Amino acid sequence: MTDHITQWLEAYHDGELRGARRRRVEDHLAVCAPCRAELEEIRSLSGLLAAAFPEEEFLTADRFAANLALSLPRRPAGPEPRRGFRIAWWLAPAGLLAALVFVDITFSIGTAIAFAADTGLFGGSLEWLQGAPPQMNWFASAVRLFGDRLGTPGVGALAFLNDLNVLITQMARPLMLQALLAFAYLGWLLVWWLNSWEELKN
Amino acid sequence: MIISETVAEAALIEQAQNGDRHAYGELVRRHHAGVIRVVYRMCGDPALAEDAAQDAFIRAWLRLSSFRPGTSLRNWLYRIAVNAALDALRRDRKTADLEVETLSLPDPEQGPEAAVLQREREHAVREAIRTLPEAARSVLVLREYGGLSYKEIAAALDIPLGTVMSRLNYARSRLKERLHPNFTEREDD
Repeated sequence: MTDHITQWLEAYHDGELRGARRRRVEDHLAVCAPCRAELEEIRSLSGLLAAAFPEEEFLTADRFAANLALSLPRRPAGPEPRRGFRIAWWLAPAGLLAALVFVDITFSIGTAIAFAADTGLFGGSLEWLQGAPPQMNWFASAVRLFGDRLGTPGVGALAFLNDLNVLITQMARPLMLQALLAFAYLGWLLVWWLNSWEELKN
Repeated sequence: MIISETVAEAALIEQAQNGDRHAYGELVRRHHAGVIRVVYRMCGDPALAEDAAQDAFIRAWLRLSSFRPGTSLRNWLYRIAVNAALDALRRDRKTADLEVETLSLPDPEQGPEAAVLQREREHAVREAIRTLPEAARSVLVLREYGGLSYKEIAAALDIPLGTVMSRLNYARSRLKERLHPNFTEREDD
């Protein structure tokens, strides 16, 4: 008797096997007495279970339904959502993911182009993209007022802070958008999970 | 279920989902026997089973809007029925005090009355089923008494097919151990 055949005996007994696997089990049973004995045990157990519950006098279906009708509460749930709404609900995560990918790609490409333009990779052809200079007002004022006293290291440090400020300002909007989309997606997952859990409980 | 019955049932479900109590009553009449069969085997007690069945149909009525048309109402009801039966058992404190060590099939040779022995044997089997873990018992009852296929059980309980097989195997192994020795011989009595 092999484990392989043993593990399929219950499925065979329950009528769950088809085709070649069923034939293989039957062929094996024809030559394997221990497996036949085990199958017989499963059948006996099934018979025992079937006989273990004597027929009880339950209410008839009509009587039961009549009694139940008196106990049925008013259903709090509203009508089933319209088909269009259901489709939109299931498409929501796909739409959110697509929006997230779109924002991410356009942001990455935009950043790469801006960086390339700053380094002069495109020469003057992208000047129109650069628009206003990236320096912030506070930086220009500080350099004008204290530039002489700060010296090169001081101005360099201010320039670094300014670049950091510019970078954060430029990134803030797309990052906020990404975070918003991510929260919407996670929110959808949470609602879906809660609904599934509720259904499972009932 | 033949096609015309399936179509008729789909219409009844739609009406019931729109609040038609008469349509729901007809659905209850159609599935009453199956639900009772499952909850009775889950609970092992007729009175408890009646309560659990009523509870199951009330829950189903309240949740009917979440039922997806095109899927099996029977399987959906069985899932609710299994949970209602388990809740009924939890409420029934008597079952918590079950002495599992005392479970064994009485020997027919020792009893004076065959009928008494038969009742004792039935009782032993029912108690053995009741002592199974809930997850394994649910699968066993749906298979042995509900007549559901492995796929239907998987769908009804929302578990993978492999889990159905392993839980069923576990339940049967435990029952064979509990009802040992010689239950096969006693079957021939």
